Order: sequence, then structure tokens, then C-alpha cells
Amino acid sequence: MNPATLNDYVLLSALLFAIGFFGVLLRRNTLVVFMSLELMLIASTLALVAFSRHNGTNDGNVFVFFIFTVAAAEVAVGLALIVALFRKRHTIQLNELNSLKN
Amino acid sequence: MTPELVKVAAAAADNQWGAIFPELMLACLALALLVLEIALPKKLHVYIPDFALAGLVGTLAGLIVNFNSATLGHETFNALLRHSPGGQVMRAFFLLVAILVCVLARVSLAKQKMPRIEFYHIVLVITGALMLLAQSNHFVMLFVALETVTIGFYILVGYFRQQSASLEAGLKYLIMGALSSGMLLFGISLLYGVAGNSALAGHSANALHYASLAQFLVANPHNFLASAGIVLVLAGVAFKIGAFPFQIWVPDVYQGAPTPVTAFLAVGSKAAGFAVLLVLARDVFASYDWLVIPVLTAMAAATILFGNIAALTQHNVKRLIGLSGVSHAGFLLLGVVASMGPAAHVNATGAVYFYLFAYLIASFAVFGVMAHVAGADDSDQTLDHYAGLAKDNPFLATILAVGLGSLAGIPPLAGFMGKFFIFIAAFDAGARWVLALAAVGVVISIYYYFGWIKAAFFKVWTPSGEDNVPRPARTPVDMVSGVALCLLAMASIFLGFYQGPLGQWMSVK
Repeated sequence: MNPATLNDYVLLSALLFAIGFFGVLLRRNTLVVFMSLELMLIASTLALVAFSRHNGTNDGNVFVFFIFTVAAAEVAVGLALIVALFRKRHTIQLNELNSLKN
Repeated sequence: MTPELVKVAAAAADNQWGAIFPELMLACLALALLVLEIALPKKLHVYIPDFALAGLVGTLAGLIVNFNSATLGHETFNALLRHSPGGQVMRAFFLLVAILVCVLARVSLAKQKMPRIEFYHIVLVITGALMLLAQSNHFVMLFVALETVTIGFYILVGYFRQQSASLEAGLKYLIMGALSSGMLLFGISLLYGVAGNSALAGHSANALHYASLAQFLVANPHNFLASAGIVLVLAGVAFKIGAFPFQIWVPDVYQGAPTPVTAFLAVGSKAAGFAVLLVLARDVFASYDWLVIPVLTAMAAATILFGNIAALTQHNVKRLIGLSGVSHAGFLLLGVVASMGPAAHVNATGAVYFYLFAYLIASFAVFGVMAHVAGADDSDQTLDHYAGLAKDNPFLATILAVGLGSLAGIPPLAGFMGKFFIFIAAFDAGARWVLALAAVGVVISIYYYFGWIKAAFFKVWTPSGEDNVPRPARTPVDMVSGVALCLLAMASIFLGFYQGPLGQWMSVK
């Protein structure tokens, strides 16, 4: 087996990004949508680490820590919103959350 | 000292904390609000928002006095930040936005049983991040500042947590916001990957720095991965400004968010997108104008048309102002396009800044009236609620007419001059077919803006249909918001006649 090359990593991260992207657009359960959003961020971190190793600079590795921090904050706010909304409406299906209209 | 220590000392000296004094002030003020809430007895809590307002006005005054500071044109914090005249203009802009949001919040929050102080705290934190965002010179700085702004907005949009409309808007904004951040981030990682690749000409060890990336892009003008990265970054920014096809979140989120937050999103978040876009499109991605100019031109045309046509059928005023804001983003994009490429017009950047200020002044006049007309259910504000406003409260009706007239671009008002400058720049830059579409858009917009004015001036309130719901009572105008609304209306009229120093001040690159 050959060791994985930069191309393999970039392809994998592009694939993860695509799965996350279409998951956000197509899935209807808010928690699954959340997981898809995290998958998109993970795709970027994988690409950054792979590029960082290949290029021999540390910026990408350091950037990953910032992304983790931001993702954690995002999830904290997001789950709080989901819990508050579930208490009001007793559903977290996106197609049932449609009270905002003209 | 060892060489490492010398290096660390040099890096520390490069930080120049004085350069971000206004942002530090805001951070301290935000923390001070929370401390005051604990320290002060309950009956003094009503004065804390006034304290925040005074602090913001003081910071703005300090910024204007030190406008031409010594760091202007320099990079600080190891080139994470760059202090340009445009960045200074946007800093003042965001402070002005924060002041007006606090004025609106005093009116709107009084109608809800909600903790108040945290709201002002988050507004101050977001404002500081917006100001750093406008001066960022490095993609890590851009990402962190942008996410601080966005996560703050998730909380603010869902702030009225007893109302499910507000929570639903918060969730929708979070999903779409995180989606756009994901795209922006993936674009950044692609750009980092190609620009640092030692096999390519012009590669840089500091690939996330704007100037290094720009040099790399000049050396590789048709790289596929770099193009993909640029498109993804532009998509992430286009979401912030609500440009077509990234505008789907706008009507729902604007309707559900508390009125001051809707105003903050419409003006602050949109202006942040344009501040970033002006730097990225004109400086960093300049050598990819074969890609950026067609993308932004098509986006501008589609945004102007979509925003105006979708706004035509809206009955809820928050959705209406949201979709009309989409069309304003289209006009601003047209200005950005005119400032790029070989045919760039010299005053196009100044025109964009002027348009942003005219839009700020007119929008906040309208949002100020909305905050007074709205009832306890903040998401339910329809055109019917404005019936008879001219008779009940001629002051609010006049402010509304001036604000909407300026947004529509009626000649003596600031909004007209804003559109006029953008059209001249776009005409000279050769975007003629978009101009034709823009003219159609202006005509459509006059129709729905005047529908709103008509409701306020010529309609009489009749309880609607079978359910006979009473109209929400109008909030009396207190001194602070009265003075603010009066100043906004006068500024709209004044800037229409005389742009002199403001126009020159902002045409600096």
C-alpha cells in the first residue's frame, strides 16, 4: 500500500464537505442538519492540516484551533436554541417550523 | 537576551495596542455593563442602557478626533490588522450603527419582559468585532472576527425567547449562517493550500496574509483550486450581504428577529460584508478580475431584480424592509463592480461608502418608526398597523415619509444622491445592461415604498375581518429617540443637498 498523498486528503475533505453541504440542504431533522454543519467544518480542518504538513508551514495547524473554538461556541448557541424551541413547539423538524410567513 | 527573546520582544512591540483603542474601550464597556448589573441596586438598572449609549458616543467622538492617527496606512499585530482610511470610515459607521441600535432597543425591549443588560452587552461585543473585521488583513483575523459577529447575531435574533417566531428565526439564521461560514472556511483552506505550495511560482510561507496571497495570485492568474477558493469565499461573503442566490434566509429572519436586531442585521451585518468585499475583491483578488467581475455583476443584476420583485407582494413590513434591503445590496454590489478592473471609476469606492451612510440614515429612521408602532408581538407588524399614523402621530409619520423617500431615491434626499453616484460610476465602468435593470428596479421600489407611505397618510384604521383584533397601541416618543429620529430625518435631507466634505472624505482610497 502506498502512503496517502496530499491529493487523497484533499479529495477526502472535498467529499466530506459535499456530504455536509447536501446534508444541510436536504435533511429535515435539526440535529442531523447540525451534524452536517459540523462535518463541513471538519472537512476544512482536514484540508488545512494536510496542506499545512505538505507546505511545511504551521499556519494551517494553528488555524484549526481557532475553528474548534468557533465550532464549540456555535454548537453551544445552537443547542440552546433547539432546546428552547422544542419546549415551545414540541418539534425539531424543519418542515414543521414554518410559522414565519407573509 | 537570547535571539528567541529578541524575536518575541520585537513581535510584542509590533502589537501597538493603542491602534485598537476603540475596540478595547467597547470590550471594557461591555464587561462594565455586566458588573454594573450585579453591583447596582435594582431600581438603578434602568440607567445602565444610558451608560452604554454614553460610552458608545464617547468612543465615536474619540475615534473621530483621532481619525488620522499615526498608525493609518500601517500594519499592526504582526500584520493581522491594517489601518486604512476606508477601515476608519467603517469603524465610525459601525459605532454609529451601535448607537442607533441601542436607541431602538430602549424602545423595543421595554415592551417585553426580558433581561435587558445582556442585550446591550452582546451589541457592544458585536460592534467591536465588526470594527476589527473591517480592518482585518489576514484570513485568521477575518474568520475569527466574522464568527464573533455571527454567533453574537444568533443569540440576538433569538433573543425574545418567549416568542416562538424569534426562536425559529434564530435557528434558521444559525443553520444558514453556519452553512455560509463553512463555505467561506473551505475556500480559505483551499487558498491556503495552493498559495503555500512550494511547487508553484510565487508561493508564500505566510499564505493567509492578504498581501502575500495577492502576490501569489498575480503569479498564478488561472489556477483552478485558487479560483474555486475565491468563489467559495465570495459565496460566504455574499450570504452576509444577502445577495442573490444567498438571500433565502432574509425574509424569515428579518421578520422573527426583534426590531432593533433586524435593523442591526440590515445595516451592520450588510455593511460588514461590503467592507470585507471591497478589500478582498479590489486588493486581494485583483488579478482574478476575469472571474470576480462577471460573478459579482450577475449577482448584482439578479439581486436588484429579485429583491424588488419579491418585496412587491409583502404585507408584513419587516419582510418588506428585508427584501428591499436585498435590492439595496444589489445597488451596492454594482458600486463594488464599478470600482474594479481596468475600467474602474475613481470615485466608485467613495460612492459605495456614501451609499452605505445614506442607507444607514434612512433605514434607522424607518426602523425607529417601526419600533414605536409595533405591539407586544414583535414579528407581527403589517401595513394595516400604519393606517391613520399621520393623524395619531404626525411626527412619526413625517419621519417615516422622509426615511422611505430616501430609501426609494426621491430626488432631494440622501438616498437619491447615493444611487446617483453609484449609477455614474457604473456607467463609466461600462456596466450598461445592469444599469437598465437597476432603473427598472428603482421604479418597482417606488411602488411598494409609496404603498407604505399611503397606508400611513391616507388610510383609516378599520378592524380587519371576522376576528376584529385591535391594533397595537403606539408607544409615545421619548426624548432620546425623538432627538435621534429628528437628527436622522434632517441628515437625510441635508446630505441630499450637500455632500461636500463627506463625499471628499470618503473618496480616499
